[in-house]
Amino acid sequence: MRVTESSASYGALAGLQSSAARLASLQAKLSSGKQITAPSDDPSGTVRALQLRGDLQRNTAYTDSATDAIAWMSTSDSAYSQMVTLTQSARTLVVQGLNTGSSTGSSAGAIADQIDALRTSLLSVANTTYNGRPVFGGTTSGSVAYDNGGNYMGDSGTVNRTVGPQATVQINQNGPDVFGPAGGDLFSLLSSISTNLRSNNSTALSGQLADLDTAIGRMSAAQASEGAAYQRVQVAQSSQSSTKLSVTSQLSELQDIDLADIAVQVTTASTNYQAALQTTANIRQLSLLNFLS
Amino acid sequence: MSSTFGGIQQATNSIGAARYGLEIVSQNIANASTPGYTRQASQQATVDEVAGVPTLYTKPAGPGGVQITGTARLNDPVLDARSRTEHARSGLADTNAAALSSIESLFPEPSDNGLSEQLNAFWKAWTPVANDPGSQAPRSVLLQRAATVASTLNAMSTSLGDVAASATQSLNQAVDAANSAATQLGNINGQIAVAAATGANANSLMDQRDQLLDQLSTLVGGVATINANGSADVVVGGTSLVSGPTVSAMAFNAGTNTVSVGGTAVTLANGSASANLTTIVTTVPAYQAQLDTVANTLAATVNGGQAAGYDLAGNAGGPLFGGTGAANLSVIITDPTLVAASSTPGGNLDGSNALALSGKGADNTSADALYTRLVGDIGSSTALAKQQQTTQSSVTASVDSLRTSVSGVSYDEEVSNMLTFQRAYQASSRVLTTLDDLLDTLINHTGLVGRS
Repeated sequence: MRVTESSASYGALAGLQSSAARLASLQAKLSSGKQITAPSDDPSGTVRALQLRGDLQRNTAYTDSATDAIAWMSTSDSAYSQMVTLTQSARTLVVQGLNTGSSTGSSAGAIADQIDALRTSLLSVANTTYNGRPVFGGTTSGSVAYDNGGNYMGDSGTVNRTVGPQATVQINQNGPDVFGPAGGDLFSLLSSISTNLRSNNSTALSGQLADLDTAIGRMSAAQASEGAAYQRVQVAQSSQSSTKLSVTSQLSELQDIDLADIAVQVTTASTNYQAALQTTANIRQLSLLNFLS
Repeated sequence: MSSTFGGIQQATNSIGAARYGLEIVSQNIANASTPGYTRQASQQATVDEVAGVPTLYTKPAGPGGVQITGTARLNDPVLDARSRTEHARSGLADTNAAALSSIESLFPEPSDNGLSEQLNAFWKAWTPVANDPGSQAPRSVLLQRAATVASTLNAMSTSLGDVAASATQSLNQAVDAANSAATQLGNINGQIAVAAATGANANSLMDQRDQLLDQLSTLVGGVATINANGSADVVVGGTSLVSGPTVSAMAFNAGTNTVSVGGTAVTLANGSASANLTTIVTTVPAYQAQLDTVANTLAATVNGGQAAGYDLAGNAGGPLFGGTGAANLSVIITDPTLVAASSTPGGNLDGSNALALSGKGADNTSADALYTRLVGDIGSSTALAKQQQTTQSSVTASVDSLRTSVSGVSYDEEVSNMLTFQRAYQASSRVLTTLDDLLDTLINHTGLVGRS
């Protein structure tokens, strides 16, 4: 093949440009730290990275919800413990009232007063709030679950938290589920016990002792199901944190450069470029003219 | 035996031929870096014995010497045509890759600033609303996220329109440049025809002709035919643009998005104009439509979700997004309490509707999935276009290199030719001197025997 000045310069220029372009693209990767600087660098990798980023954001949302759910349930759990203790005290008092049934009315009255006080305490515990919302009030927008008369003010709504894909957990128990249905609830039971103590109605009282046991059982059952929900949330939380780890590492593998690898490639490309420049400069100086006197 | 002074005539011709050879060397060296210059060579031939003359006067015939028969233009017409074809393809591939790259830059993915991340943030903002439906703050954040998504979609749609607008501008420029090149070619065709008729040297006209043909093929994919007299005809999309000295006008109608030559609508297959036309007619509208689908899907999902729920006051939820596409998507509710978080009426603190909406981003048919697919499409189209551009440029460069290796000037070759002609000149001069010496002997020193 005939080599002319312009054909040689075409070749040299094309070679130099491709060396320079390669160096520039490696440089861009090195300075951004990203393997994918534009979708065309790796179209399928880009799609995968976008999906993983979505997963990561949802993961954060799940984790936030789980944290919130655990805070809510911790609040209601301590309420349960107090309520069970208070109700058991009431039961002890009723037993005491039955045993001293024949004793003076004043001591029965004292016991009845204590029952009334317990009922007030229970009402206040039943109105425990989390973030301004009564935890036993369903989805009510009001500030209490039970009014002073012991009437349920909430609704039957459920409070759910999504703590993972397809993992929605109910984190609340409504007042009627915990304290019994309206009319047969703990508060009216305690009012009635108080009345019966004062009137020394031991027959009714012994029947109501069993009712109190039922109430305690109902509360414990509610606490147990809350505990199960708590556990589900915790499991979801730990699985979310391991998911986060794996998604983050997958994302990093897709997006981020291997610094050592790229640095070596940059050095190689830079050496190539220098060599190309050097040889072009040397060879293009040669001419027959240099050798004619 | 030839005539006494025949040798002198031969030597004179020979000196003239050597001098003309040196002139051509000088011309080649002078134009070595002139764009489009094709190297030339003097053509010489031996002079035959004189025919038709009685043998009495010519026999035995001697050699007739040298004559200059012309100046050759050393190009390879096949390579020239091949180069034009590849330049037309390069024009298409380069412009196409540039257009797709500028579209791709509107989709900065994957990054923290892209629409994808904004959509993620929008869906994520439903969770705090679901968890705490009574507070205003998460609801306000949600509306802000929605507004960010809407304004990003608006901006992307506008920028896509800008890409089409700048492609229109380049197309107009390409058509103008093609018209000007065609007019020049028409003039040159006329001059070449005259030169061919009168036998004048048309080499430099042909160099100009070839440059114009290169331009026309790169710009609009014009296909050239070289006529016997050296003039060139150009056809664009099957319709004649230049035929001898006759030139038709090329035009782009922005209303119908068509290119016409001499009033006839043509389909451009190659050249940068073709790529620009594709960008305007196909590429941008297709991506615009996909972006609209993303916006409309988002609006439909969110508005549908809103309609299924109830706001903080307990009223049925109204649409959150308004507009008919990516260009005018907007958030139409400003009161945060109008976000329909509850799935039951009555103004309660139920968050299940918001909870249901918070998961919509993960659906296979969600706006997010459509957008991801769009980004994937753009990424692979751009990667393909860049690949085609790289391949095509290396093909074009190698053809150009072949072409210039035939038609380009080599200094080494010219210098060595220069030496050849210099020696030829010296030798011819020596022949002339020798003949002169012989004649001197014959004329001045013959018949002097006995003289003192």
